[in-house]
Amino acid sequence: MNTKKKSGEKTDKAVWLFLLPAGIIYLSVIVVPVFYSFFISLFKWNGIGEKVFVGLENYMKLIKGDKVFYTAVRNNLIWIVLTIFVTMTVSLGFALILNKSFKGRTFFRGFFYFPCVIAPIAVAIIWRWIYNPTFGFINDFFEAIGSEFSQTWISDAKVSLYAVFAASLWQAIGQPMLLFLAGLQGISADILEAATIDGANGAKKFFFVTVPLLKETFVIVIATLIIAAMKVFDVVQGLTGGGPGDATQMLSTYMYSQVFQYNNVGYGTAIACVMVLMMMLVIIPYISITAKED
Amino acid sequence: MEGKTKKVCKKIILYMLLIALAILWIVPMFTLLATAVKSKADFYTGVSLFEFPENPAWGNFVNAFKKGKLFMYMKNDLIVSGLKVPLGIFIEALAAFALTRLKMRHRTGVFVFFLVGMMLPLQTALVPINVIYSKLGLLNTYFGLFYVYIGFGISFGILILRGFFRGIPREMDEAAYIDGCSKWQLFYRIILPVAKPAVATLVITDFLATWNEYLLGSVIINDNTMKTVPVGLMTFVGEHGTDYGYLCAGVLISLIPVLTVYLIFQRYFVEGMAGAVKM
Repeated sequence: MNTKKKSGEKTDKAVWLFLLPAGIIYLSVIVVPVFYSFFISLFKWNGIGEKVFVGLENYMKLIKGDKVFYTAVRNNLIWIVLTIFVTMTVSLGFALILNKSFKGRTFFRGFFYFPCVIAPIAVAIIWRWIYNPTFGFINDFFEAIGSEFSQTWISDAKVSLYAVFAASLWQAIGQPMLLFLAGLQGISADILEAATIDGANGAKKFFFVTVPLLKETFVIVIATLIIAAMKVFDVVQGLTGGGPGDATQMLSTYMYSQVFQYNNVGYGTAIACVMVLMMMLVIIPYISITAKED
Repeated sequence: MEGKTKKVCKKIILYMLLIALAILWIVPMFTLLATAVKSKADFYTGVSLFEFPENPAWGNFVNAFKKGKLFMYMKNDLIVSGLKVPLGIFIEALAAFALTRLKMRHRTGVFVFFLVGMMLPLQTALVPINVIYSKLGLLNTYFGLFYVYIGFGISFGILILRGFFRGIPREMDEAAYIDGCSKWQLFYRIILPVAKPAVATLVITDFLATWNEYLLGSVIINDNTMKTVPVGLMTFVGEHGTDYGYLCAGVLISLIPVLTVYLIFQRYFVEGMAGAVKM
């Protein structure tokens, strides 16, 4: 690459002008608030009155005795595992089917991607209605086919987390599906044909040719899925708000309820800071991979 | 001959699979449509979702505009998105130009610095922005909202534009400089127009992300006349919790703008994503 220059080069003065607007906004919206958040997390504060400095007490309280915090961490981890095994597999399946050449392919691609353009909060509203135990689609469907089956979905603590995940899946496969499609288009037909001539069957071709060639795509998909799973908020907030009890509580919804419902601003902000620390575990290896390719 | 039958069989299986998946995928949209035409009374008298009601409740749609003030929410959202998308992309393009076209130390470091923002949860900035905004009087303003939207969009925009700018041959810069172009002219007259496909992709993804954003909107705006569509839709839930016909009509109407944008720009989605993979 001829874009690489010696590291000793001098910085052009115009760089500052070009970077200035982005730099100012980025610093004021992201960088400063992150540090300010950490500062606030050291106080006991209801958002209006005096701040009382408590040091790391908020963090100690979280780690030592907050059961809901551990539920939220566990739920976020379950969500990550589910997105990697279910969302990724399903979206790869869709991409493999939609990568074949057949009539109407463009239509079907657009069709399955479509839920992605809907506001996640609207998706939550739609699914809340689908799950409604008396009037919802699922209940009506079983009634229509003459089955007595009836189940409460999002109000049953045992299944609610999975019900919320299923609802989010409808929308969540679009993005990774597009990434996989883009990756699949980069694999030349010659390689697959050569494998066929060498006697490889469909499954062998998939695992020993396609998958290794999609390595880069897998890195991006897994990283974006984990990041999205750590951040998940809208769909949970709109469907259950973290309930029933705290069965679907995520770090994001727990933080939100602590700050905006219970006015424990310092405590809620400490949760947000824990989120950042946990994100760093994903971000640092991902960025070091990305930057290496530079 | 036998090979041909096998091929036809495979095609049939493929189509059957696709149609089965499509039916499954259409369930939420079907539910939305089937609910929007029913009144509250229809549900309580046990009209199933699968029946078309005798008196379709078209009033739901009228109510969504009149009682629900959906038109006002759409106007607000359009103003915020209309300011955020072009301004954001312009600012990101300036930075991406510096990162790819100008002599600079610690190029990768600066890029990584900008990239980290993409991965941070909105929650980290929520309380500080709220505190600072209430001091500056920026709560409940269009400026306050689109300013944070630009901030949170910078990382992704720079990532996409930088990826595209890097693919533009350097010879173009040299030719432009020889012709007497300044750096600004190189950016504005040459690089930006060449990067049209990347800009188009960003316009769509940015518009959708801004139009659909809920969390920041709900925290920065609490004056009902300033709410965006997702925040406004949630007031439907709060005030009229049980009237799902009316709520679904509202959701359905709120989908019209995104659906229009999506159908017009559909082809840019797959192409644009391919660019993101290459980074």
